[in-house]
Amino acid sequence: MEAKENELNTAVVSEGKQYIVVKLGTEQYGIDIQYVDNIVRMQSITRVPKAQSYFKGVINLRGEIIPVMSLRLKFGIDPDEITNATRIIIIKLEAQATIGIIVDEVKEVVNLTEDEIDKPSYNENDEKAAYVFGVGKHAGGLISLMNIAGVIVEKEKENA
Amino acid sequence: MDVSQYLEIFIDETKEHLQNLNEQLLVLEKEPENTDTINEIFRAAHSLKGMAGTMGFKRMQRLTHDMENVFSEIRNGKFKVTAPMVDVLFRGLDALENYLDNVVSSGDEGEEDNEDVINDLNAFLNGGSAAPDKKAETSSATPAASDEDMGESVFANMKIADFEQHAIEKAKSEEQNVYEIRVVVEESCILKAARAFLVFKALEDIGDVIKSVPDVQDIEDERFEQDFSVLIITKESADVVKNAILAISEIAKAIVRPFDLTGNQGEKTEEKAASADAPKAGKEASASGATATATAPASKKANAADKKAASKPVVNRSVRVDIEKLDVLMNLVSELIIAKNGLVSLNAGGEESKSNNSFNEQIEYLERVTTNLHESVMKVRMMPIESVVNKFPRMIRDLTKKLDKKMELYMTGEETELDRTVIDEIGDPLMHLLRNSADHGLESNEDRIKAGKPEVGSIFLDAYQDGNNVVIEVRDDGAGIDLEKVKNKAIEKGVITDEQAETMTDNDLISLLFKPSFSTADKVTDVSGRGVGLDVVKSKIEGLGGDIECKTVRGEGSTFTIRLPLTLAIITALMVELGDEKYAIPLGSIQTIEDIPCTDVKYVQGREVINLRGTVIPLIRLDSILDVQPREEVPESLTVVIVAKGEKLAGLVVDNLIGQQEIVIKSIGKYINNNKIISGATILGDGEVALIIDANTLV
Repeated sequence: MEAKENELNTAVVSEGKQYIVVKLGTEQYGIDIQYVDNIVRMQSITRVPKAQSYFKGVINLRGEIIPVMSLRLKFGIDPDEITNATRIIIIKLEAQATIGIIVDEVKEVVNLTEDEIDKPSYNENDEKAAYVFGVGKHAGGLISLMNIAGVIVEKEKENA
Repeated sequence: MDVSQYLEIFIDETKEHLQNLNEQLLVLEKEPENTDTINEIFRAAHSLKGMAGTMGFKRMQRLTHDMENVFSEIRNGKFKVTAPMVDVLFRGLDALENYLDNVVSSGDEGEEDNEDVINDLNAFLNGGSAAPDKKAETSSATPAASDEDMGESVFANMKIADFEQHAIEKAKSEEQNVYEIRVVVEESCILKAARAFLVFKALEDIGDVIKSVPDVQDIEDERFEQDFSVLIITKESADVVKNAILAISEIAKAIVRPFDLTGNQGEKTEEKAASADAPKAGKEASASGATATATAPASKKANAADKKAASKPVVNRSVRVDIEKLDVLMNLVSELIIAKNGLVSLNAGGEESKSNNSFNEQIEYLERVTTNLHESVMKVRMMPIESVVNKFPRMIRDLTKKLDKKMELYMTGEETELDRTVIDEIGDPLMHLLRNSADHGLESNEDRIKAGKPEVGSIFLDAYQDGNNVVIEVRDDGAGIDLEKVKNKAIEKGVITDEQAETMTDNDLISLLFKPSFSTADKVTDVSGRGVGLDVVKSKIEGLGGDIECKTVRGEGSTFTIRLPLTLAIITALMVELGDEKYAIPLGSIQTIEDIPCTDVKYVQGREVINLRGTVIPLIRLDSILDVQPREEVPESLTVVIVAKGEKLAGLVVDNLIGQQEIVIKSIGKYINNNKIISGATILGDGEVALIIDANTLV
């Protein structure tokens, strides 16, 4: 019995975590699937005046108002070009706090184990360092694993 | 038996019974002969006792049992209702409320035995009237603090427990002194409990404190008036003891006199002779009373720790809903199902039956049902304001005693309904305003007579519905606010300059009272009479989407008017267009809509204003404030929405009016940087999101 349980445990560990791979410009980013509530197509966004520049506004998702931010603007790359592949990923970090992020394309879901993830080298001057907690290697490509909390919550400090 | 599942019901019902008891007791005090009231009280107390017993709350049960005994004697006409008796009964109710709070927060009734209350209750039962009356006076009624003489020894009437008696006798045999000390705290003293604590500490340094009136627990909780008495065994002389106490600041007086056990015992034997039962019961009560005193400090510490740990209530909040309202809801839901079935059968019926006519019919039906459903659900959320205000008469009664001012509270409109969330939040601000009125608003009785007013001050609490708002007024017929003094204080504090003060209207000065900087200073309180926490009141009410105004007439009194939205979730709003964006402006703040020719726009100090029927109103260009792309063409006239905040007006320039609409307010989330102009968002019929403009922040 015990041996079986151990087996199960190791199985879970070796399975690693699932990430949704999205494209942003030329780079690939991974988002931990446990935070993803939903993926929706691009829809009309209502601008919110005086909000942070990277917030595109709010959308109506089945009767709920959800703020939407542009990852491109947040990461300081060219503004979004809305295409057929553009998606809004609805992230639920905690109850009552849902947020949407705009990405160029959603590619796939991958499994990454611990040993497939490298910690990024620390660079003090890199603002984006807080946004990424590791780099995953998958099928020959590199995936920057997004630190969702860093991306979303960190700007509260900016405000303060 | 596991009774935890009944906890919620128990809490709800106990609250109701306690409230009922509070109200009925107030009535009883005024009409001691009213048998209906007495019966009602008795019933409530009896069910309370039964419930507490079933739930296993022994302390609650015991206290209610003793209270019930008193009630039953009143009912049988053996006792006359007296003010001290009502005082003790109220203390009993307070103690029960404390138990209940404990139950709500921890699921347990707590450790407090409230022996003092039980003793006092039993004193009524045992002694008939004479002795207990005196006892109640010393423990609850305001003692004459100015008495030079010590007055009656408080301990002479008190039964001394065996072990205490033993200690006293032993002390005497060891040639120690036993003193009875009455300590009077200065009237201006704020931290009475702290001073009392120092007194105890000083006394414990030189001897042993064996007893105090009121007991240690009450003293620590500041449940005493200006004075308290202690019994101490010490080797030192009376003067040393006296000096030790007087060395503590803010102690007005310390009267030390030797305590004699014999007088006390004499009384005891007398009593024994008088009645066979009474002393036995009395002795029992006093013995347990003494243990309570002894264990009080320890249990208090434990209690404090408990309270901190159990900050999260163990019981969910529940609401009682009229069963009729639920029936209506149920009906509507069944109609909704019928409507759905109608649509399904239309769909299944093939092409012919899908004619536009019957389809539209079904849609209309569905619409009617959803509208009704919406209304009913809102009604379930509505509660009469009564549940908040019904505790106020009792509070005013307590304040009458505490402030030594005669006053009466008149309430109207208790049946006015408000959204549940508002009801939950509005209690504290109202209480604050009432206290303000009682404490600072009303003059002392002597001053009132001098001013030619009736001696008894009046405080009014009126609630009524006004359109989409509910208005609650707290009014007093006191002295009003001395605005001159407010002004001077504000200048002194640097809140305003002399020049500003010159131009300020009375309203501007009143608004100073709501400023945070103003309220925290104690000095201003003394002068202006108002101010502590008014900013908190204001921010709380604004948090609920309401506002507060104050009007005051020197010598005639002040009125605080609270205006609250009927419900938080749904409002009627005017939909407007700015550029190609849509915004909603709550109808509640809109006064009029005007068409102003561009040529009528004037400039004052570089700001655009219009002169509307004699009133100069500043114009606010919403498109520039909200960074909207302005429209290409320059119109000949401006559409101006005149909004009001209190008495102040502003004109919001919009591009186009769409119309009036009921909107559901939704939050736009905490992540987005929300400047205060946007109070929320709503979803329009076509699924688009429109933002709601909070006009109050613009005026």
